[in-house]
Amino acid sequence: MAGKDCIAIACDLRLGMQSVGVSSNFEKIFEYDSVYLGLTGLATDVITLSEEFRMKHNMYKMREERRMEPDTFANLVSSSLYEKRFGPYFVGPIVAGLNSKTGKPFICGFDLIGAIDFAKDFIVAGTATDQLYGMCESLWEPDLEPEDLFETISQALLNAQDRDALSGWGAVVYIITKDKVVKRLLKTRQD
Amino acid sequence: MPGLGFDNYKRNQYLADHGVPMPTATSTGTTIVGCRFNGGVVIAADTRATAGDIVADKNCEKLHRISPNIWCAGAGTAADTEMVTQLESSNVELHALSTGRQPRVVAVLTHLKQHLFKYQGHIGAYLIVAGVDPTGPKLFSIHAHGSTDVGFYLSLGSGSMAAMAVLESRWKKDLTKEEAMQLCADAIESGIWNDLGSGSNVDMCVMEQDKPAKMYRNYRKPNERAQKEKSYRFPRGTTAVLAQSVRSLVDVIETTPQSMEVDA
Amino acid sequence: MEILEAQSTASSQPIEHRFNPYSDNGGTILGIAGEDYALIAGDTRHTTGYSINSRYEPKVFDVGDNLVVSANGFAADGNALVDAIKNRVEWYHHAHNKPLKVQSLARQIQHLLYRKRFFPYYVHTILAGLDDEGKGAIYSYDPVGSYEREQCRAGGAAASLIMPFLDNQVYFKNQFDPATQQYRVRSYLPIDDAIKIVRDAFSSATERHIHVGDGLEVLIVTKAGIEKRYFPLKRD
Repeated sequence: MAGKDCIAIACDLRLGMQSVGVSSNFEKIFEYDSVYLGLTGLATDVITLSEEFRMKHNMYKMREERRMEPDTFANLVSSSLYEKRFGPYFVGPIVAGLNSKTGKPFICGFDLIGAIDFAKDFIVAGTATDQLYGMCESLWEPDLEPEDLFETISQALLNAQDRDALSGWGAVVYIITKDKVVKRLLKTRQD
Repeated sequence: MPGLGFDNYKRNQYLADHGVPMPTATSTGTTIVGCRFNGGVVIAADTRATAGDIVADKNCEKLHRISPNIWCAGAGTAADTEMVTQLESSNVELHALSTGRQPRVVAVLTHLKQHLFKYQGHIGAYLIVAGVDPTGPKLFSIHAHGSTDVGFYLSLGSGSMAAMAVLESRWKKDLTKEEAMQLCADAIESGIWNDLGSGSNVDMCVMEQDKPAKMYRNYRKPNERAQKEKSYRFPRGTTAVLAQSVRSLVDVIETTPQSMEVDA
Repeated sequence: MEILEAQSTASSQPIEHRFNPYSDNGGTILGIAGEDYALIAGDTRHTTGYSINSRYEPKVFDVGDNLVVSANGFAADGNALVDAIKNRVEWYHHAHNKPLKVQSLARQIQHLLYRKRFFPYYVHTILAGLDDEGKGAIYSYDPVGSYEREQCRAGGAAASLIMPFLDNQVYFKNQFDPATQQYRVRSYLPIDDAIKIVRDAFSSATERHIHVGDGLEVLIVTKAGIEKRYFPLKRD
């Protein structure tokens, strides 16, 4: 979710095999310096891709001798996913970050083959997308301050995951501003 | 960049056979149209992208630039229209550089159809290609299997029927630029209102002989959301937090204010 | 234009033809119960596939005796069920010469649905009325008659979008009150607040669900009778 000079990205902590819960400490958000990537979907692909992006991100930094901007990272994700057009990774990625030059919030989402969805407001992904769309579309408003954005994104995630059998078991939220990143572990239902 | 990889294909087939649902790719349900007029050509599109019954993107861009004077409207699988169009854009640039000539629409058309035919329709891109080149204004459509059509007015996508109804009833020979723009925008609006796969805004691009192409992003915005009845901002502290950690991105330098010595 | 039509495979094996008796006409409904009222709201769009059949086809009905019913899903089944319900209410009057109570109609609807257990009405049903104490009551059903009394329920195409929002704004789920160090407990909403939440729920669903839109019709039950209100929604 985008706010006033800030962004927030959140995920649940459940890892499951269909209806059986396996882990309640599976974070789906990955940091690449100041770019944040949320990756839902098949766990093996989540891990494979997060590591592949880690490698590609480091290669870029070494070659270019500068940091990667969020929009650049988004295009990297897109082309990497499309490379596997006919044997795709089963993932639903989200990219969020602040542009280091302009300080402008950047958020975007992708389908599993790399079609980018640039949004000004919010992006959702995973098994509870319907619920999240309903929550975000009604709760979100423009220009929220970091602390207000935290409440909005948290309530959106919490209530959405409670209506999805495959999501939950804890949640984490990152609130990203130009001078600090706050990570919070939320109190959630454990069923 | 290597070619398209099939590495995960067998695994995904296995997963599908064992009841793991395939995630849905976003498709641009879509209404797209193109129309020729005296001295140029115009293309237009709606801006809704869907994933099943859900609207994934309310204001996406379906008009793609292939070269400064050749533009392309895309329907079908969102990633395919985007990527096939980017690939063509890069090839056209290289071709123009190596031949030292202006890119031509027919060259783009031929190259795109050969690429799509090669993939036997598996690349789900349905395109309306339009542009001006040294041989004049051109307007074509391409289907995912590689077939192409030529026309004075064309429409594609789930809203093509609604759009074509407008085009068929109002199109005439020798339209002016303004008339063509009006007609295309109305055809797209017909798709927006009457086809559930299309919605939100109208994007448009006008290409005229010997003039730079002009892109009108959100040429019409007939679907802005009204003010909500209520604000759903929560009082701070509403969400229960178990733990918190802070990563500081700046060094905070403590400075003690010192009194300045001022000499008279 | 199909230039190359694949040759149909030789008729060595028999071809099975099937009639599908069901279709989906989209739309969404929502019921909320308050201290002295109950309401059901429904959008007025009627669809099949990517087409709009009607922009105003009401699906929330006054069935008499200050009771309101809506059955969302396959419209033909929904209308048939509502007709059957109206019929039951009428015959109850002939037999007993007194108004039908909401809890009694609730049980009647269960029987109407369950008697078609193996060829069900393809609908999500919601019933609204006032109980013996004059308090608002919402009953909701699955297609074969399993039901429950609740304070709020969303049904139909965008139910999954609206229901978590209702949990949050009607039941105050996940809302912690830092002053009391307790989670907020549910209470009845004033009617004006409920209408606002209903309108925002539907305008949000219209934004993100292609089968929801055109118009919103709300039927509000109070002891004074049934009030019908209409609000336009986006038409794209």
